[in-house]
Amino acid sequence: MKRSIATDGRKVLRLQSGLEIRLDTLWATGLLCAAALGFSALAISVGATRTGLQDFIALLTGAKLDEGQLFALLDVRLPRLVLGFMAGWCVALTGAMLQSMSQNPLADPGLLGLSQGSMVTILLLMVFAPAAPIGLVPVAAILGGLGVAALLLWLTGGGQSDGLAIVLMGIAVETVLSSVTSIMILYLPPETSFAVSDWLAGSLFQASWDVIGALAPWFALSLPAILLLGRALRCYDLGEETAMSLGEPVRRTKPVILFTSVLLTSAAVTAVGPLAFLGVMAPHLANALCPSSGRARLVLSGLTGGVLVIGADALTRRFAGDLAIPIGLALTLLGVPLFVISMRLRAVLTQQRT
Amino acid sequence: MTRLFILLICVLTAPTSFAAERSVTDDAGRTVTMPASPERIIVLHEPLIGVPLAELGLPPVGSYGRNDDGGTQMAADFYRLVLGDRAPDPLPRGIGALGNMDLEKMRSLEPDLIIGTEHDLEKAELLSAIAPVYLQNSSTGRVRGFNAEESLAGLLGLEAAFEDRKAAYLARLEAVRAALPKDPREQDYLVIFLSDQINAVGEMAGMVQALEDLGYSRLSPDRDSTVSGFGATLLVPLSAEVFGRLDPDLLVVMNSFGKNARDEAAIRQSLDRIVPGWQHFLKPAREGRILFVDSALVTTPTVASAMHMLDAIESWAKK
Repeated sequence: MKRSIATDGRKVLRLQSGLEIRLDTLWATGLLCAAALGFSALAISVGATRTGLQDFIALLTGAKLDEGQLFALLDVRLPRLVLGFMAGWCVALTGAMLQSMSQNPLADPGLLGLSQGSMVTILLLMVFAPAAPIGLVPVAAILGGLGVAALLLWLTGGGQSDGLAIVLMGIAVETVLSSVTSIMILYLPPETSFAVSDWLAGSLFQASWDVIGALAPWFALSLPAILLLGRALRCYDLGEETAMSLGEPVRRTKPVILFTSVLLTSAAVTAVGPLAFLGVMAPHLANALCPSSGRARLVLSGLTGGVLVIGADALTRRFAGDLAIPIGLALTLLGVPLFVISMRLRAVLTQQRT
Repeated sequence: MTRLFILLICVLTAPTSFAAERSVTDDAGRTVTMPASPERIIVLHEPLIGVPLAELGLPPVGSYGRNDDGGTQMAADFYRLVLGDRAPDPLPRGIGALGNMDLEKMRSLEPDLIIGTEHDLEKAELLSAIAPVYLQNSSTGRVRGFNAEESLAGLLGLEAAFEDRKAAYLARLEAVRAALPKDPREQDYLVIFLSDQINAVGEMAGMVQALEDLGYSRLSPDRDSTVSGFGATLLVPLSAEVFGRLDPDLLVVMNSFGKNARDEAAIRQSLDRIVPGWQHFLKPAREGRILFVDSALVTTPTVASAMHMLDAIESWAKK
């Protein structure tokens, strides 16, 4: 491993295997990891029970805590933290994938209707098979998301269509599915309707090791997906025609990217509900921190998504007091100002350059 | 001899330890193993579960919608308003912000039973890590009058307390019926709940119990085809046009308990906003057959709410 200069003049760390990692990417990753650790420390320390980071570290080193402290740390705070990070990672990663694939900076699972597809099938399951086992919920979510993805591919002529066509068709499908969701909520029995409304606001209340166990395989799937699809997405970032001229088999990789996005989105939606705007916001914030593409962009976006969710949750739990703020709203409160600032900074820098 | 004595104690106490817990089936069809005589109950709904329990003499230790010091987070303090002198002292403590239950706070109250409504089904498994969770039907047309309180009394072995309250209620019922100018058995009623729209109220709560025990019958869809879906849910939305044509013998109107102002002046103001000119064309209003009540007092499924409704009807009859 040695430091060197890449062809674009940036400093890189070159591994023996030939893999190059830009130093600014490493710094950004380190910064995001530090932010994740900082927010984790806050999240572990906030709650009604008198316990916190010191007790947690003591627990890891073999100390014994009382039942109340164990419950607070292991059954409430830690599951919430882990689930929030995993869900944020999955949604942000999906946003980054879809933005590269469609070459549209606004694309995210919500905009393309993938989240709505999952929500509609979950609602259908609740309405027509209320006694169905809870394990069927993620299956329904994946089927709904896949259905929308297949519909999008069919409506846009498979892998031949350009990114704009996918986004426009996605918006149309999303609008229709949102209407279906609204109608179903209106006509659901009130108790189901209340539960669904809670879930639609996004919530980490149901965080438990069981829910984490259900999301973990999909979270793990994201790691090989980053390795395998990163190169293809780097080519997509250059435009579809350039990607093809670089040898990228667009007709094959586009459905694979869409399929992976569906799996990750559906799993996250099932666990915590829709995390509105995170898929758009996190990749842009990651890009503002360190402009990148391919695998680096995916990793930075995923980390940013995870950090945003656990940060928003920890800060609202610490400062909101008796005001209930669902995670979807907390994310908006924390993320949107950051998003606006980063966009404004980028605009100012662009003006200065020109 | 000592061993024999120890064995005797074990034999005598064994049935006690078995009897300390029992299995019941809740209204969601779940089997719940709960203490035989729970003492530290957390309720997930104040007006629908907490107030009936407090009226039965077993006030909850924790109640959704309250602060840590027992102060209410809602517009109406149901325990104090509905129960008056019988309100729990101290008031139940809170279990987190409205819309955001705090599992750690709940556990710190050391509950031996959590009682929720059918709306809490998806939370039941999670909350079971703290204490057994019993789900009681409390709304959406599944209960009628104050029979949710009667069910809770049966669950918790408080039947005697319920019967005492009911006896007082029945005596009061006869007194109020005697004070009415016309025989209510030949009359119908309709209860209107004003939120940001006009809603017809279904079958639940103490007010409906009082009205129907007096003999009033709910405005029949056969007699007025503009009103449909009665009894199916707590609230049935009505258009202003339909509302203007309604003509029950007794029209009961109330503001939402989400509002701070729920007296007659505030209800008239709400009606002015939603249905301008209502007092000129609404027949029950023109003929003095309209009754304004405080929703916080009469909408819990308790004997106390039924008594408040009887008080309101008696005051109206004397005018």
